[in-house]
Amino acid sequence: MLPLSLLNAAQNKPMLVELKNGETFNGHLVNCDNFMNITLREVYQTNSEGDRFWKLKECYIRGSTIKYLRVPDTLLDAVKEEQNRARDAGRGARGAFVSGGNRGGRGAPSRARGGRGGPMRGGRGRGRG
Amino acid sequence: MSSLQGYVDRRVILVLQDGVVIVGVMAGFDQKSNVVLSDSKERIYSMDAGVEEVPLGLYLVKGDMIVLIGELDEAVDQAVDLSTIHAEPIPRIQY
Repeated sequence: MLPLSLLNAAQNKPMLVELKNGETFNGHLVNCDNFMNITLREVYQTNSEGDRFWKLKECYIRGSTIKYLRVPDTLLDAVKEEQNRARDAGRGARGAFVSGGNRGGRGAPSRARGGRGGPMRGGRGRGRG
Repeated sequence: MSSLQGYVDRRVILVLQDGVVIVGVMAGFDQKSNVVLSDSKERIYSMDAGVEEVPLGLYLVKGDMIVLIGELDEAVDQAVDLSTIHAEPIPRIQY
């Protein structure tokens, strides 16, 4: 599972973000991008000593300054389930296409599908069960 | 190519640049070595008390921060009584 899939699934969920300088931000994730830049709303900020607090309506955090994010445990199962659903849906659609389009074409190099052409990557195995 | 794929779904130990040690099950990773850890715990070492384990849950650690990732031998790890271990904490990296 990709870290960014987890982050995307965390939208509107509470999270704790610690920056490299030790400051922490507690809030709900509003949005994020592929750099892990994020916006949070209803934020409690603490300094690195943990002895001063600020409340912010909303804040933007540059991804490169982040040390780690802590997200709800339940997200892991939610993301895995979503990925399984997506995979099954994809497999169903592709399987139908392959059995129709590949008939009699055994000997041809199977480059057309799978895009990358890497060994054992979607080129075989899927359609055969 | 070096890859973290072999660590997926295994219990691993992470050492970060600030000296923090985290153990958890690697749920995923990406090209930048960002790592998702489930059921993770921080291990806090000190000389005058045993190792303290602080539960952290589901964690996403940025690849920038990671110094080391190693697979834990769970059998050996569970055989160790952490409360008897006294050790210097790892100092943070200084440039």
